[in-house]
Amino acid sequence: MASNIIKGDKSERELTFMGKLYFPEIFKGMAFSIKHIFRPTVTLQYPEEKPDLGPEFRGRPVLVKEKDQERCVACGLCARACPPLAISMQANETADPKERFPEVFEIDMLRCIYCGFCEEVCPEEAIVMSPDYDFNFVDRKDAVYGKDRLLIDKNQLQPRLNFLAEKRNKQFGKNINFKEDNNGHILRDRTND
Amino acid sequence: MSNKVYAFRDKVNLTFFPKHQDAIYRRLEDKHTSVEVDEDPLGTLMTINLGPQHPATHGVLRCVIQVNGELILKSVVDVGYLHRGVEKLAENKTYQEFMPYTDRMDYLAPYSNNVAWCLAVEKLAGVEVPYRAQWIRTIACEMARISAHLLWLGTMVMDAGAISMFLWTFRERENLYDLFDKMAGVRFTVSHCRIGGIQYDLSDDIRKGIINWKENFKKEFKSWKKLLTNNGIWYRRNIGIGVVSKEDAIAMGFTGPSLRASGVPHDIRLFEPYLVYDKLDFDIPVRDEGDCFARFQIRMEEIAQSIRLLDQLLESIPSGDIRADNAKHTYPSKNEVYYSMEGMIHDFMMTDMGVCPPKGAEIYSAIEGPKGELGFHLISDGTGSPWRCKIKSPSFSNLQMLEKMLEGSMIADTVVLIGSIDPVMGEADK
Repeated sequence: MASNIIKGDKSERELTFMGKLYFPEIFKGMAFSIKHIFRPTVTLQYPEEKPDLGPEFRGRPVLVKEKDQERCVACGLCARACPPLAISMQANETADPKERFPEVFEIDMLRCIYCGFCEEVCPEEAIVMSPDYDFNFVDRKDAVYGKDRLLIDKNQLQPRLNFLAEKRNKQFGKNINFKEDNNGHILRDRTND
Repeated sequence: MSNKVYAFRDKVNLTFFPKHQDAIYRRLEDKHTSVEVDEDPLGTLMTINLGPQHPATHGVLRCVIQVNGELILKSVVDVGYLHRGVEKLAENKTYQEFMPYTDRMDYLAPYSNNVAWCLAVEKLAGVEVPYRAQWIRTIACEMARISAHLLWLGTMVMDAGAISMFLWTFRERENLYDLFDKMAGVRFTVSHCRIGGIQYDLSDDIRKGIINWKENFKKEFKSWKKLLTNNGIWYRRNIGIGVVSKEDAIAMGFTGPSLRASGVPHDIRLFEPYLVYDKLDFDIPVRDEGDCFARFQIRMEEIAQSIRLLDQLLESIPSGDIRADNAKHTYPSKNEVYYSMEGMIHDFMMTDMGVCPPKGAEIYSAIEGPKGELGFHLISDGTGSPWRCKIKSPSFSNLQMLEKMLEGSMIADTVVLIGSIDPVMGEADK
């Protein structure tokens, strides 16, 4: 396509008579400012008013709790993918020898950069980004979130889970017949197996 | 050794990196000195530290200047206050893991940095990226360029004394960030690019949102232009200030809008097209004067050209995939991970080992960022992380010229000079 190099005109650097007078410009600037006073305000009175964030917003990462149990199987992939090394975990086995769960799961919120890589790599959809962004701590130990503060019930995270299901890259594996029941991250009751 | 160096050193207590401080002051004293002068007989010279904590220096830039009255005689620019070792971090992260770090380099245009990094890795590993992904990246790159230039416009006009302009440009930036939020999930540090494509597709709603914003922005931009055109105050602050000749600009490594303001028509978008720029119609503005006003004009015209590019880009987005379909180069889709064993294995392999370019591969890939040529030089040793990553950041190259520009100008012009070359310290210090 045609792309050209355009040189400017010398005349655009020269002031006209009105420009040289200096004072009209001050009034022009004032007129602009006054015009802006009557425009609708865009300021958000933050703690009282909250911005309208959709399900696509990446807030703090949380663990999904389903049937009073975490989905997480402590594979450690999120800890590996985490660029600032914010996640640490300790796995343990449940009574069922085929299942594992994280005994300790910690996210250092001072390190977290909200990139969403943990959510992206998780093979169980167990860690997702919640819409929660305004939280604070008074000391560094307080900033390490354990399972008590990370586990959030699935119902509360439903908008984000729906968003992820919708945005899942559907272009691959078109010939596999997907069934929700086959999904690995649906918790199975193995007692009757 | 002149006595004055000692005299000055006695007055201040150098506790913070004393050797470095010593070297800075001595370099300042020794600059352009061929005749040994014992002392300043009339006591008219004054040494001033401009920065690092000075709002007008756009971050943590420190300029040590020696003034005689209002005239700057010598200057030394000190960078490195925001050094985070980004290049070394890259050697210890996989290619994909390093991508969010590029957001934090030029933090005014994070998307351009993401794209620059992903293009470099894709060139290194030979990844084919779908056309639709390239198209969406181009849209986001131009939005990032407008957003970076908006901040520059606001701060530069503020540096010259008009504070309300800053608020108006920031309102438009805010709208732009809302669009980035809808598109990538985060307003500022987007991390939306992936090696081999992008994370989420651009929906039609967002496309319409960008078109709406663009139409409003055109009106706003016109009104700003009206305010600044033929404005005696603005013109007199800028015309003839900080003139950089064509030869100097090339010798000192100016890039981007600053280089084009000195009369060198170099733009990577035109001469080494990346993404889909070769399919688009746009102009490269060039000015010969090389002063602050020329740099201002170039950036204003670049905003106009970016809008022109967005006009063409948003007309229709080609349909297709948004990520390469190759599990050795990019993450598999989530459906594949959830429902098939191969997908899950690929997910683990990609996270742990990442893209493994061939051993000994070495490339340099650059894009035209808002500040200038942003390049990555990567050397691979066959593993998932680069053996060496050298970042050519435009702000760092542009700052090389600042010392020369400062010397001989007035002290009130320093902020305008710094504003006109538009450095971002996150990128200059890396």
